[in-house]
Amino acid sequence: MSTNELEAQKISKSYTIDDRQIKVLDDISLLVSKGEVVVIEGKSGSGKSTLLSLLSGLDRPDSGKVIVNDRDITHLSEDELAPYRNRTIGYVFQSFHLVPSLTALENIMFPAELNNDPEAMEKAEGLLNRVELIDRKNNFPHQLSGGEKQRVAICRALVNSPQIVFADEPTGNLDSANGEIILNLLLELRSELDTTLLLATHSREISNLADRIVLLADGRIESYTDKVPE
Amino acid sequence: MIRWRFIFRQINSSRKQALIFILCVSLSLLTLVSLGGFSNSVRQSMLKDARQLHAADIMIHTHYPASNTLLEIVNRYKSEGLAEAVLVHEFYSMARNTGREKSLLSELKVVEKGYPFYGTVVLKSGLDFSKILQAGRIIVEQNVLDRLQADIGDRLQIGSTELTIVDVVVSEPDRPVSFFSFGPRIFIAADDLEKIDLIKKGSRIHYNYLLKIHNQDMVDTLADELSDVAIEVQERVNTFRTAESGVKRFFENFLFFLNLIGIFTLLLAGIGIQAALYTLLRESNYTIAIMKSLGAGSAYIFLHFTVMIMLLGTVGTVLGLFFSYLLQLYFPVLFTGILPAHVTLTIAWDVVFEGLVLGTVVVGLFSYLPMRRLRNVKPALIFRKEVEATRNDLPHYASITLTILFFIGLAVWQLEDVKTGIYFVLGLLGLVAFTAIVTQVLLMLMKKRSPRLLTLRQAFRGLFRPKNATRSIIITLSASLAVIFSIYIIEQNLQSTFIQSYPPELPNAYFLDIQPSQKQEFSNILGEEPQYYPIIRARLTSINDRRINRKEERQRRRDNLAREFNLTYRDFLLDDERITEGNNLFGDLDQNSLGNGELPVSVLDFVAEIGDIKIGDLLVFNVQGIPLQARVVSMRTRTASRVRPFFYFVFPEKTLKDAPQTIFSAVKIDRQRLTMMQNRLAEQLPNVSVIDIGKTIEVLARIIQKLSSIIQFFTLFSIIAGLLIIISSVFATKLARIREAVYFKILGAGQGFVLQVFTYENLIVALICALQAGIISHVGSWAVCRWIFDVPYKPLPVATGIMILSTILLVITVGLSASLSILRQKPIGYLRDEGQE
Ligand SMILES: Nc1ncnc2c1ncn2[C@@H]1O[C@H](COP(=O)(O)OP(=O)(O)O)[C@@H](O)[C@H]1O
Ligand SMILES: [Mg+2]
Repeated sequence: MSTNELEAQKISKSYTIDDRQIKVLDDISLLVSKGEVVVIEGKSGSGKSTLLSLLSGLDRPDSGKVIVNDRDITHLSEDELAPYRNRTIGYVFQSFHLVPSLTALENIMFPAELNNDPEAMEKAEGLLNRVELIDRKNNFPHQLSGGEKQRVAICRALVNSPQIVFADEPTGNLDSANGEIILNLLLELRSELDTTLLLATHSREISNLADRIVLLADGRIESYTDKVPE
Repeated sequence: MIRWRFIFRQINSSRKQALIFILCVSLSLLTLVSLGGFSNSVRQSMLKDARQLHAADIMIHTHYPASNTLLEIVNRYKSEGLAEAVLVHEFYSMARNTGREKSLLSELKVVEKGYPFYGTVVLKSGLDFSKILQAGRIIVEQNVLDRLQADIGDRLQIGSTELTIVDVVVSEPDRPVSFFSFGPRIFIAADDLEKIDLIKKGSRIHYNYLLKIHNQDMVDTLADELSDVAIEVQERVNTFRTAESGVKRFFENFLFFLNLIGIFTLLLAGIGIQAALYTLLRESNYTIAIMKSLGAGSAYIFLHFTVMIMLLGTVGTVLGLFFSYLLQLYFPVLFTGILPAHVTLTIAWDVVFEGLVLGTVVVGLFSYLPMRRLRNVKPALIFRKEVEATRNDLPHYASITLTILFFIGLAVWQLEDVKTGIYFVLGLLGLVAFTAIVTQVLLMLMKKRSPRLLTLRQAFRGLFRPKNATRSIIITLSASLAVIFSIYIIEQNLQSTFIQSYPPELPNAYFLDIQPSQKQEFSNILGEEPQYYPIIRARLTSINDRRINRKEERQRRRDNLAREFNLTYRDFLLDDERITEGNNLFGDLDQNSLGNGELPVSVLDFVAEIGDIKIGDLLVFNVQGIPLQARVVSMRTRTASRVRPFFYFVFPEKTLKDAPQTIFSAVKIDRQRLTMMQNRLAEQLPNVSVIDIGKTIEVLARIIQKLSSIIQFFTLFSIIAGLLIIISSVFATKLARIREAVYFKILGAGQGFVLQVFTYENLIVALICALQAGIISHVGSWAVCRWIFDVPYKPLPVATGIMILSTILLVITVGLSASLSILRQKPIGYLRDEGQE
């Protein structure tokens, strides 16, 4: 097994709006190795979310391949992807995407329950403790603030101890103070669990946390920057 | 493994749609079970035992004493111990309470000992009918006592004698309901038949020879043997299996109509189930997408929503059964007067079981399409809001086809008629297709329009907001309203034709069975010379070479050619008649144009249409066993109301003057004189029957009213189903409306503006539905009145206006009441929620 956990080979994606084709990603190739923190940078609309959704298997590229753990996931069916989404990856979204009908605790437990983890409850409560939200466990998403929602979402992404966490502008909907808390939390938890992290952002501030920075523009990778050891 | 918590959370977060789903399920069950229960009760208690319904194994029916050959065979059966036989005479006659000077047209039944062979005649005293009914005694219906102010022990004059009332009849097996007869029942022992002396030449008397066959295996053989010697057309031999029963036909027609309404309600409930489920699943789309992104497989999702549907379905079922139970308590109130008192209306377990099976199939069929959409919810949905358009693939169309086939099957099964069942479902489909096209055109026209008024313009846009099911709502509502309107309009038309429109200047008393020799005396009693109509009873046996097929004829809804006709003779046209074909009533009677022994006849266009009879056709009648050949020489039509006496077949006076006949007369006479006349007639001409049309119409009106109320009651179910569909759709678009309202408010619009936009929006939908339904129902009702019931059509403008207005009000009320909370919504609360997405 190579050290390459995640590989994108020439993936492209276009959207069709009113008969007009817009190429959002054009021949993107990328290698990510185990334990790496990769920041994907680019202006709003440059295709960061699209790229993450393709790499994570939430969506399918028009052409090219996505390979995870030496397995091509591009042509897997929804149902073949399901266990992969459940155990191999975790996802943190810009707009949280908590299940509105479930409480904070239930949201976190859900992926573990799907995995038939008998300790789902303990793990979820442990994580909630860790993010200092244990007294909010029975709140529904609409009863939580943005920062709180995102902390719950991070717990949910990590509850099955995934190999790779995708975070799509996790601070984008938060104020800077809350954003910082979230970011630190994410990085701390990542290093505790030794998870690979792919993080999309449009702000440069986060970049110095990365092992590597990928700059997206016009659907192409404009540059890679390996982290300069300080 | 099933996560119940997830299911309950999901139900809770879409509880309004869940509730509508439950209500639709319970409504379909309620319809199935209550209608099934009613039909079953009727069939069980009245129609099930055909032997009871005819009180015998073999019946010979004729209007004359049976022929000798036939009687010989019957007597041989008796002597050989194969059968028992009794003769029953039935006819109308006046009964008179001499003490009170009151008389009443009654239906006499003169029975020999042994009647009935099957079933029992239940008496108020509880005593044995055959022991009580002896010579000199009569048993009467309660009604006779009431209307003649008589009591048990009193004597009534019947014909030329007086008989003593000894008991009251509660029910008789071969006449389970009495509302078809012109007068209440009086039982007379056969020993008194001669004494009452009412059997007159040509009067309308039913002779029923009832046979009980000891060996059931021989019923058909013996019946065949009897048929072979019976005089064709005149003497009808039937077994309890082959016999027609008017009561049976009536109830089967009535149940047929109710079943149509039931199937329609079931269809609407199914649509409601589907609408609610679509919305519920759409509301869950976001959740489903998140769950899929967290690794839930589609089997997992499918399982949970299936369990949810089963759960909701079960609750709906239990609720439906509970409602049915409540309804059952109300049944007696609903059905009194239609069903005999002894019929118990209970919902049997097999009906419940049947309802459960059908209900499950309906839920399954209508849930399939929404459930299939689950597959199409992709996790990528959380990045963008629209659902991918689903391609309609083979299973999609297969499921629709299956649903249609199911309804055809159900209709065929319930209506017990393949052709009608298929026509009914195809008719509904045609109706839906038609409304779909009209709706599509209207919406397309509106989409292009941009009204000047801002609120109206917003309302127009609102109709086309994404996910808005405007089109399907309008189609469903228009089609179902059209059916509901039609039921009402047709019902009202029938009612008004038969009852309300009875013109006051027309005869209100009919006199039947006057003997030719009694004309003078009758005129004296009446105090004037009325119009006399001679009547010669006859059956039509063939038209040209075409024989009249009894079975086929009985299927006809309007009139049938197999019944006994009243021929008449006269050489002039009536006031309300007009010649349409031929030179005058009997043409230019050129004897040469008629074949040997042929008589000329003038035919009424109405019956000509039924039998496809043309000028020059040869009709063969049977008059008391003697064939009569008649050549059609003219056609007549009627110019005025149908309640005046009319005759299909008119012969020249000289040809039929001497045929066996009775005289009929119709007079306009005031109530008081009519009562007096009835008494004098009962005394002097006891064989003359008087029908008080006013009274008869009153009774008829009461029954039709009753039938209407039952029909309306079951139509109510389909109205409720329609309402549930509207409510479901209103809730479905609530979120989109909230969003609009909030944006309006953020941009500075007041509550009034928002209210106005929503009102316009609902008003547009309501208007389209109500007008479409109004027009379709009028065209449909007109066609049904014209072609099926053959009654004049009244457009009922007031009732139509009320129906249209109430539809509009209802749609707006339901629409707005669901939007009221939206009006009060503070934008900030919404934006906070929205931020989460
Ligand atoms: N479902 C969609 N349909 C059409 N265009 C889309 C869709 N999703 C994203 N896009 C377009 O693709 C481009 C990239 O979007 P996205 O990946 O969300 O960018 P980023 O996350 O970098 O802001 C944008 O121009 C956006 O408008
Ligand atoms: Mg983005």
